[in-house]
Amino acid sequence: MTTSTVHAPTPAVELAGITKRFPGVVANDAVDLRVAEGEIHAVVGENGAGKSTLMKILYGMQAADEGTMTVGGSEVRFSSPSEAIDAGIGMVHQHFMLADQLTVLENVVLGAEPTRRGTIDRAAARRDLEDLGRSYGLDLDPDDHVETLEVGERQRVEIIKVLYRGARVLILDEPTAVLVPQEVEELFRNLRELKARGHTIIFIDHKLEEVLAIADTITVLRQGRTVATVDPSEVTAHQLAELMVGSDLPTPSTEPRADDDHVTLAIRGLSIPAAEGRPALDGIDLEVRRGEIVGVAGVEGNGQGVLVEAILGLREATGGDIALDGESISGWPVRRRREAGLGYVPEDRHRRGLLLDAPLWENAMLGHQTTAPYARGPWIDRRGARDATTDIVADFDVRTPGIDTTARALSGGNQQKLVIGREMAAGPRMLIAAHPTRGIDVGAQAAVWADLRTARADGLAVLLVSADLEELIGLADRLLVMLRGRIVAELDPATTTPMQLGGHMTGASGDGDPS
Amino acid sequence: MTSTLRSSLVLRWMLAALGVILALAVVQELARPETTDLVSSGTAESTLRRAVPILLAGLGGIWAERAGVVNIGLEGMMVLGTWFGAWGALEFGPWWGLVIGIAGGAAGGLLHAVATVTFGVDHIISGVAVNIIAPALTRFLSREFFVDRPGGGLTQSPRVESVGSLDVPFLAGGDLFGWTTPDIFHWIEDRSWFLASDVAAVLGGVTRSVSWATLLALALVPASVFILWRTAFGLRVRSSGEHPVAANSLGVSVVRMKFTAVVVSGGLAGFGGAFIAIEQTGIYRENQVQGRGFIGLATVIFGNWQPVGAFLGSLLFGFADALQLRDRTAVHALLLLVGVALAAQAVRAVLQKRNRPAFLLAAASVAVLWWYAVTEEVVSELPPVTPHVATLLVLVFAAGRLRPPAAIGLPYRRGQE
Ligand SMILES: Nc1ncnc2c1ncn2[C@@H]1O[C@H](COP(=O)(O)OP(=O)(O)OP(=O)(O)O)[C@@H](O)[C@H]1O
Ligand SMILES: [Mg+2]
Repeated sequence: MTTSTVHAPTPAVELAGITKRFPGVVANDAVDLRVAEGEIHAVVGENGAGKSTLMKILYGMQAADEGTMTVGGSEVRFSSPSEAIDAGIGMVHQHFMLADQLTVLENVVLGAEPTRRGTIDRAAARRDLEDLGRSYGLDLDPDDHVETLEVGERQRVEIIKVLYRGARVLILDEPTAVLVPQEVEELFRNLRELKARGHTIIFIDHKLEEVLAIADTITVLRQGRTVATVDPSEVTAHQLAELMVGSDLPTPSTEPRADDDHVTLAIRGLSIPAAEGRPALDGIDLEVRRGEIVGVAGVEGNGQGVLVEAILGLREATGGDIALDGESISGWPVRRRREAGLGYVPEDRHRRGLLLDAPLWENAMLGHQTTAPYARGPWIDRRGARDATTDIVADFDVRTPGIDTTARALSGGNQQKLVIGREMAAGPRMLIAAHPTRGIDVGAQAAVWADLRTARADGLAVLLVSADLEELIGLADRLLVMLRGRIVAELDPATTTPMQLGGHMTGASGDGDPS
Repeated sequence: MTSTLRSSLVLRWMLAALGVILALAVVQELARPETTDLVSSGTAESTLRRAVPILLAGLGGIWAERAGVVNIGLEGMMVLGTWFGAWGALEFGPWWGLVIGIAGGAAGGLLHAVATVTFGVDHIISGVAVNIIAPALTRFLSREFFVDRPGGGLTQSPRVESVGSLDVPFLAGGDLFGWTTPDIFHWIEDRSWFLASDVAAVLGGVTRSVSWATLLALALVPASVFILWRTAFGLRVRSSGEHPVAANSLGVSVVRMKFTAVVVSGGLAGFGGAFIAIEQTGIYRENQVQGRGFIGLATVIFGNWQPVGAFLGSLLFGFADALQLRDRTAVHALLLLVGVALAAQAVRAVLQKRNRPAFLLAAASVAVLWWYAVTEEVVSELPPVTPHVATLLVLVFAAGRLRPPAAIGLPYRRGQE
C-alpha cells in the first residue's frame, strides 16, 4: 500500500474497537491495537484478558462482533484463516496444530502444496523448507515424523509453516510457555532474525522479563480492554505487573522448613526401559519428606514426564519400588493411589487434565470421583460436587461465567487454575505437580505459589517438575536434575543460580555422562 | 524414493511371497497323500477371486478411516453394490453393471457422509443404519424389478453375465493376435519340480482366466496408495483424519475432504458387491455379501491402514475361504504350518527376551501341533474363522505398532478448536 504521507508510516496491523462477546463474558471490549511494520510487539495481560481471542480474530478463526481491522493500510474482514493467510498473516497457536503422524514436510505444505504433474512436488517443497531453515536458522529435518519431535522442534515446524505461506505478520500465542531457557534464547534469536528481514511479530507472553528483553512495544490488556501501550525501555517489570493485574510482581520464595524426618514418598531403583526412542528411567532413587518441596529440573524429554507417570501408576515400571508413607504402592492401580492422597497436576492440561467439552463441575470431580464431596456411596453427589466446584472457582480465582460453562470456553490460564484448585482442594498428602504455573499470569502465579507454601507448612510433600528455573530455585527445598532418565545432580537452591542449573540440565557441567 | 530403494522393496516382497509358497509346499510334501490342494493353481485362482470383494471393502475402509470417518456401513454399501450391479448387468450388460453397482455403493456412502459429517451423527450409529436400510431397500427393489422376470424373484435376480477374462499370453497360454501362445506356467507345473512347479502353479492360477474386473480391483491398490500418499488431495484427506482443526486452520476444506473420501469408500464397497454378484456368482441373491464388509474392516486393521496391508489381509481371508470350499484336509495340514510358525515366533521372542509373549506363543504352538497329531480333519467351523484369529493376533502382538488415524471417529465441527 502506498498511502504515503509525511506522517507516521502505515502500521502493519491496526485493530480498532474490536469487540467480541461470548455467552456470559465480553472477551474483547473495544480493544485497540496498533502494530508498526517490522517491530516485535508484545501483548500481555492477565488470564482471560482476551489476548488469544483478539489474535484469533486477527487470524480469521473467530469473527469480531464489532470493530475494524486494517492490514497494510487496507481494511480487511476475514471469515476464515485462509483469507488471513492470503493477506500475509500467520499464527502459531497456544496449543500446537500439528498432525503427529504426518512428516514435518507434510505438515508444512498442507493446504499450499506445490504440485507437479498431479503429485506433490516433494523435491521442491524440501528445497523451499531447507532454504527457509537456512536463512532463518530454523533447523529441521523435513522427513521426521512430528510425533518424534521435541517441543522446541515442533514450535519451529509451526513457525516454518507460517513462513512457508509467505506470512509477513507472525502471531505467536505464548510461544515460550513450553520452552526451557535455552530454547527460549533460540526462539528469540529466530524472532530477531525475522524482524531483521522485515517481518512483523505479535506475541503473547506471561514472563515479563522475556517481554522486556525482546519487545519493541508492549500492549497491556485487562478484562478485555486495552489499558496501555508502553515502550519497554520506559517501564520495569514491576510497573508492567502493576498494569496487568494491579499488583506487584511476585517472586517465588519459601521459609526454611521445619525439621521433619517422616518420608512421604520413597522411590528406590525405579527403572523403565526405553520404548520407541523416548528416554525412560534408569535406577531413580528419590525421597520427598513431609512438608518438603523437591524440585525436578531437566530439559524436556529427559525422563521427568515418565517419572511423574510412573509415580501415578500410568506407566508400569520394570524395576524398583514406590512407597507412600512407608507402604509400597507399586502394585496399586491409579485410582487406589489417588484415593490414598496422591495429587496430580498434569503437564498437558488438555490431554490429561480436563474433559474439554464437559462442564466445570464435572471436571472438578476428575480423579476424585469416588470420594466426598463428589460422591456418596456409588452415586455422584451432584449438589456436593457443584458446591465444591463453586468453592474452587472462588478460592482459586477461576474467571468463568459459571460452573456449567464447558472447560473449553475458559482461557488457557483459567483452565490451569481449575486443575490446580481441584487437586489442592482435595487435601492431598503428596502432590505431583508438573509445570503448575505454565501459562498463568503473574497474579495467579503468586496465588499458586502461596497455596503451595501454605500446604507445605501444613505438611504436604510436593514433587515439583518445572521448566521455570526461577520457580524451582525459589520454591524448592532441594533440587534434583534429570538427564537421560537419571538423576545426575542434587543441588541446594540457596546456593544455585539459574545459569548453573541450566548447565547441569544440559550435562555441560561435567557430571552428566558425555555421549 | 530412489529407484534402487524401490526395487529392493519389490525384491523383498517377491522373496516373502516365495517364502510363503515354499512353506506351503513343504507342508504339502509332509502331509502327502492327505492333501494335494494346498498349493495348486485351482487354490490360487480361487483365493484371488475370493479376495477381491474383501480387498475392495478393505480399500473402502481405508479411504473413509484415513479421512477420520469410521465406516461400519461398508456391509450395507456392498449389499447395494450387489443389487445395483446385478440390475445394471441385466439392463445394460456386465460392464455397466459394475459401474451402476459402484454408483449404488457410493449412494450409500453419500448417506453415511451426510449423517456423520453434515449432521454429526455418531459414526457407528449411522453405519448400522446403512446396514439396516440397504437390505430392506434391495428387497423392495427386487419386488419392483425382479419378480416378473424369468428366474427372478423376491430374493434373487435372473442370472447375469460376467465381464470376461484374460489368459496372460506366454505365461498362461493366452491368445495374441489370434495365435495361441505357449502356456509356460502350465508346462513347468507339469514337470513336478519341487518349489518351481509349485510357484508355477500359483502363478498360473492367478494369470489364467483372470477376470478384467479382478485386474481393475488389483489396480486400485497402487492407485489408492498413489492418490492418498502422493497427491495434494490425498494429503488433505489424510490430514482431515489426523488433525482436522489444524487442516482447517490452513485453509483445507475438511468437510469436503471427508465427504469425498466417504463417497469413494462407498463406491469401492459397491464395486466389491457388484463383483460378488456379477463375477463370483453370476446372480444377485439376498444375503450373498455374508459379512464381507466387516471382514474388509478387519483387513484395514490387519493392514495397519495401508492399502498393501489390506491386500495381504484379503489374500489371507481369500485363502482360508478357498481351502474350506475345495479341500477340508488341506486345512488340517495347515495346522502343521501354523504350529511351526508359532514355534518360530516363540523362539524369536525368547531371543528378544520378551518372556510373556514367548511363553504364550510356545504354549499355542504346542497346542496346535498336538491338535494336528491327534486329529484327522478339522471341524468345518474352523477355516472361516482363522483370518479373524489372525487379525486378533495382530491386534495382540502388534498393537503398539498399529497407527490408526489420530482423529478417527471424532465428530468435527467447522471452526472448533
Ligand atoms: N469459545 C469460547 N466460548 C466461550 N467463552 C470463551 C471462548 N473463548 C474464550 N472465551 C472467554 O473469553 C475470555 C478471554 O479468553 P482468552 O482465551 O482470549 O484469554 P487470554 O487472554 O488468552 O488468557 P490466557 O492468558 O489465560 O490464555 C475468557 O473469559 C474466556 O473464558
Ligand atoms: Mg490465551
